[in-house]
Amino acid sequence: MTTYYVLVFTVLTFFFGSVIYALHWSVRTGQFSRFQEGAESIFDDEEPIGRLNDCFPDLEPPELPLRKRA
Amino acid sequence: MNTAIRIFIGVFLTFATAWIGLVLVPHWQLKDLQSQKDEALGTLNPAPYTGLEADGRRVYIDLGCTYCHTQQVRGGFYNADLERGWGSRRSHPLDYIYDEPQLLGTMRTGPDLANIGVRQPSEEWHHLHFYDPQITSPGSIMPPHRFLYEKRRIQGQPSADALPLTGEFAPEEGYEVVPTYRAKALVAYMKRLDQSYDIVEEGDQ
Amino acid sequence: MNAPPIPPEKLPEIRSEIDRSCSMPCLAWFASSMFWLIVGTIFAIIASIKMHNPEFLGDTAWLTFGRVRPAHLNVVAFGWGVPVAFGVLLWLQCRLCRVKMVWPGVILAAVVIWNIGITVGTIAILAGKSLGIEWLEFPTYAAFLLFLSFALVAVWSMMTFAQRRQDHVYVSQWYIFAGLFWFPWLYVTVQVLLILLPVKGVTQAAITWWFGHNALGLWFTPCALAAGYYFIPKVIGRPIYSYYLSLLGFWTLAIFYNWAGIHHLIAGPMPAWLVTTSIVGSMMMIIPVAAVAINHHMTMRGNFKLLKYSPTLRFVVFGAMAYTLTSLQGSLMSLRAYNEPTHFTHHTIGHAHLGLYAFFTMTMFGAMYYIVPRLTGREWASSRLIRIHWWGSAGGIIFMFLVLTIGGFIQGFEMNQASESFESAIDKHGFFGGLKQWFAGFQDRNGAVPFMEIVKGTIPYLIARSVSGVMILVGHLAFLALMVMNIHAWGRKRFGPTLFQRGDKTYTRLMTDELEEAKEA
Repeated sequence: MTTYYVLVFTVLTFFFGSVIYALHWSVRTGQFSRFQEGAESIFDDEEPIGRLNDCFPDLEPPELPLRKRA
Repeated sequence: MNTAIRIFIGVFLTFATAWIGLVLVPHWQLKDLQSQKDEALGTLNPAPYTGLEADGRRVYIDLGCTYCHTQQVRGGFYNADLERGWGSRRSHPLDYIYDEPQLLGTMRTGPDLANIGVRQPSEEWHHLHFYDPQITSPGSIMPPHRFLYEKRRIQGQPSADALPLTGEFAPEEGYEVVPTYRAKALVAYMKRLDQSYDIVEEGDQ
Repeated sequence: MNAPPIPPEKLPEIRSEIDRSCSMPCLAWFASSMFWLIVGTIFAIIASIKMHNPEFLGDTAWLTFGRVRPAHLNVVAFGWGVPVAFGVLLWLQCRLCRVKMVWPGVILAAVVIWNIGITVGTIAILAGKSLGIEWLEFPTYAAFLLFLSFALVAVWSMMTFAQRRQDHVYVSQWYIFAGLFWFPWLYVTVQVLLILLPVKGVTQAAITWWFGHNALGLWFTPCALAAGYYFIPKVIGRPIYSYYLSLLGFWTLAIFYNWAGIHHLIAGPMPAWLVTTSIVGSMMMIIPVAAVAINHHMTMRGNFKLLKYSPTLRFVVFGAMAYTLTSLQGSLMSLRAYNEPTHFTHHTIGHAHLGLYAFFTMTMFGAMYYIVPRLTGREWASSRLIRIHWWGSAGGIIFMFLVLTIGGFIQGFEMNQASESFESAIDKHGFFGGLKQWFAGFQDRNGAVPFMEIVKGTIPYLIARSVSGVMILVGHLAFLALMVMNIHAWGRKRFGPTLFQRGDKTYTRLMTDELEEAKEA
């Protein structure tokens, strides 16, 4: 039974530690601010926003209106 | 930003409390359950498994019986477990203290087995049913478990264990079907599934 | 993290270098997961046929229903589901961090270890060495291999993250990290508490379902949502509708999902407080689900016509819709009045497939349609095969969900409420009249319908389920053919519409010109 409690304690300590570190880090590096920038971070700078990126091989992709970056 | 830190520390405390709440607290609550002695009969409720029953339980696990049969009589208002005669009372955590792993089950393709030992005390019925469910329960979709039985040539006297198979299920002339050890163990386990004893809750006296 | 900015004209080249570096490890995960997907589908069909035809392959213990069914579950969950998610996560991690894959050898080792684990575990189940705990049937030695491989991938993911050249952590990465850390944590905990130092009796049931449900919610769900949050905006070229909402969805999932598992034990031999807590947790899940649903819908709004053009979008959007449906259904299913009649029936099986197939697997297919051509530098060989895959999988799963849900309802109400069997009510009064009569006869706690009649009533639905399984298998075989053709470079090689050409100068220039125009406009 003692093994059991030691194990539980270790797991919990390790988990809490990593969690608080991750949290501190994410706030420090501004993960909870600049939302628009975050949403656009999946596009590289030269990728036009508003263009279909995947298509059946036998179809031509439709023309879409391009949009400006925020 | 300080607000954010506070909120998210809260989030993670909640995350870990779920672990404490769903795993640790039930463990602490239930870990001290012990069999109760029936003074009149001198038996333990529930009794620990005998060797044969434990082997039968192992067969039950390895053949995956639990994927079609539950072993729990539910309380609650919206189910008919008691009305179907699957038990005389609701199952209690005490009924399961020797179970490792638990076999509560999640599916009732077939009926509940928590009290099958009470409903079907006949060994012969169980053997016939395992050999081919159509013998005892025509229309059943339970798979046959003929691989738990051995068909062999009768040498001298027919074996006392041989299944009383008739009609289309009977083996050829001069052969008999006898249960293997695994079949006997499984039937012993079936007969032991019994939650019909009364449980004395703390404070009931 | 502090690398100098890259000139825009170099970006397509860099993207394709990243893709190329992922090629071997990701394709290895995809190939092995495809193999197990086909094996798992065949197990599923065998198990399904056995349910209405018990004599089918009935003479050998190796293929008895009680072994084929857990073999199916473990093969599709751990042979297909986890590896395919690994492949997608690794690629996403490299793309989102803007770094090439480091140490592909480590990942290849993880692939090998993982597949040994699955093979050993599956044979053990078929040989009768299962541990008998749902979702954890693999014996400890197989589980250890899986854990080792998982740990390699998780550590590798951290290493890649540490080298990132993009300082924003996209919401997909939050989900990836969550999945990669929650799952091993869960897995080790349950291995210890159920197998190495087992706790007593029904506490095991609580832990089993805490794990069983969290495996879905804290591994499969985050992986598929990570893919959804990346591919929907990426393919249509529009950022996610509300980034704030996406983070809210993530954190509420983290809070509430953990509490949901014990709703599998409603009215069972469990302390009532535990079950009630789980019901509350399950209902609270409506918040993260609504957050995701609103976000995906608003991102797609006005762009639904694009589903015609993009296979990725089609599969991923189907998955996103199934996520909303399965989660809302799941919340409802945790309510006592709904749960008690339906829980031990085929209704639950329908729900499980809606979650793991319609949501998770379809999203993964979508992701693979986007990733694989970029890994191999070759377009998919045949639009027709893609369409066969789509209709087989989507049609099959919708059909399966409908028959199991309806069949399960009837089965559950006959078992607990109905006064006569559904079939006899219909026979006596015609369909609508019979339906009315059947419902009118409902009483609480009513065990009037004989059990064998209930069993017989489920058989048509079980046969229909086998048919849906065959449809899904056809879809999978079409996809397998596409994968093999792509990897072996069979079929056409074309440039253009799929828009991924590596280092295609014309394309780059075209895009930069368009960007200039857009900026001026």
